[in-house]
Amino acid sequence: MSEPDKAANARLVGESDWIAASEVCRLCLIDLTVVVELVDLGVIASRGSVPEEWVLPATSLPRLRIAGRLMRDLGVNVTGAALALELLESQHRLERRIRHLERLVHE
Amino acid sequence: MEYRDYYQALGVGRSATADEIKKAYRRLARKYHPDVSKEPKAEEKFKEVQEAYEVLKDPEKRAAYDQLGSDWKSGQSFRPPPDWGSGFEFSGGPRAGTRQRSAYQEEAFGDGAGFSDFFSSLFGSGGFEGAGPFNSSARHAARDHHARVDIDLEEAYAGTTRTLELKRPELKADGTLELKAHTVRVTIPAGVTEGQLIRLAGQGEQAAGGAKPGDLYLEVRIRPHPLFQVDGRDITLTLPVAPWEAALGASVTVPTPGGVVEMHVPAGAQSGQKLRLRGRGLPGQPAGDEYVQLKVVVPPANSPEARALYEQMRQKMAFDPRAQLGR
Repeated sequence: MSEPDKAANARLVGESDWIAASEVCRLCLIDLTVVVELVDLGVIASRGSVPEEWVLPATSLPRLRIAGRLMRDLGVNVTGAALALELLESQHRLERRIRHLERLVHE
Repeated sequence: MEYRDYYQALGVGRSATADEIKKAYRRLARKYHPDVSKEPKAEEKFKEVQEAYEVLKDPEKRAAYDQLGSDWKSGQSFRPPPDWGSGFEFSGGPRAGTRQRSAYQEEAFGDGAGFSDFFSSLFGSGGFEGAGPFNSSARHAARDHHARVDIDLEEAYAGTTRTLELKRPELKADGTLELKAHTVRVTIPAGVTEGQLIRLAGQGEQAAGGAKPGDLYLEVRIRPHPLFQVDGRDITLTLPVAPWEAALGASVTVPTPGGVVEMHVPAGAQSGQKLRLRGRGLPGQPAGDEYVQLKVVVPPANSPEARALYEQMRQKMAFDPRAQLGR
């Protein structure tokens, strides 16, 4: 194990950041056509007139990466990935809610 | 190293058709995919399934694997035959014989990592590059890597510095890849939220020939907290209060991530009611709020005095908590 590097140049990808669609495709290993479909389905927001010039909110990166992984690993199409994303997020919300209610009951 | 039975990993027989192998993989990938699975050790099992499919879906790799024979058992000590890799003919082209790893592995491990030593000994350690009978010498641009970093709520609130131990594949002089450990010290700013990304420029894959290295993206996960629930920058706390505090109003001490504050409980408050402490959640523009959910706790009637008080309330207070239920 080498000595720790000096502090890396960290930059928070924040809520107010918008990233070019081409960069998003590179980061998430997905095609622009997939991004277009996900925007059409309302899964993510976009700004710009044509897809090649779109910018997307940086906060959508985790969702897009999961969508890309589900499509490649499980063979689902874009609509299926979008549905899975919504269900996964709904499941996480419900799990949080259940933990909260359980705490109210048990405390 | 240990032999791996790829047919067993996918739950198919050695005579399984390509279609049966694909179906078995889809079923198991759906069950163990780390993005969707709640199964214990899902990630480990998904890797095993993925590695097995990587070999069995490819007729050339499968034929080569089958040449090892069917007498091996999973876990048995294994060494590739001395003439391994000769006698097979593989399709041509610059990316011929390369493997397409799962997207999950691609992001989590980068090139050359994630599969077992058994796989590497048979099909090369690089996957997309490097030595080995199944690999090409094609080289791509440096990739970004992704990793997760788990932090506590207090660290998300105040910011923190972490030294992360990561493994990244590096190209050796002989063209093969090796997994090298390296450490990265990163300052995580105050106010990060669940799922937020931190970009570390140049800390991803190291490119050959002086090309620009990839970036490392850290995805923040906030560990569950014993007191607070986190939702974005907002947090929620369940605050126990006495019946008289709820009925008469009170000033109570409330924990927040930044320390305790005084909060006024209005008279007539009810159990379950939420009060908001503006700006007491995670910092940011704007800062999140802390929601305090009241929980009225009834004192036990475990002494003559307490029982007398409850009796007095029963006699003197015309109170029916079930009045709204209708009868």
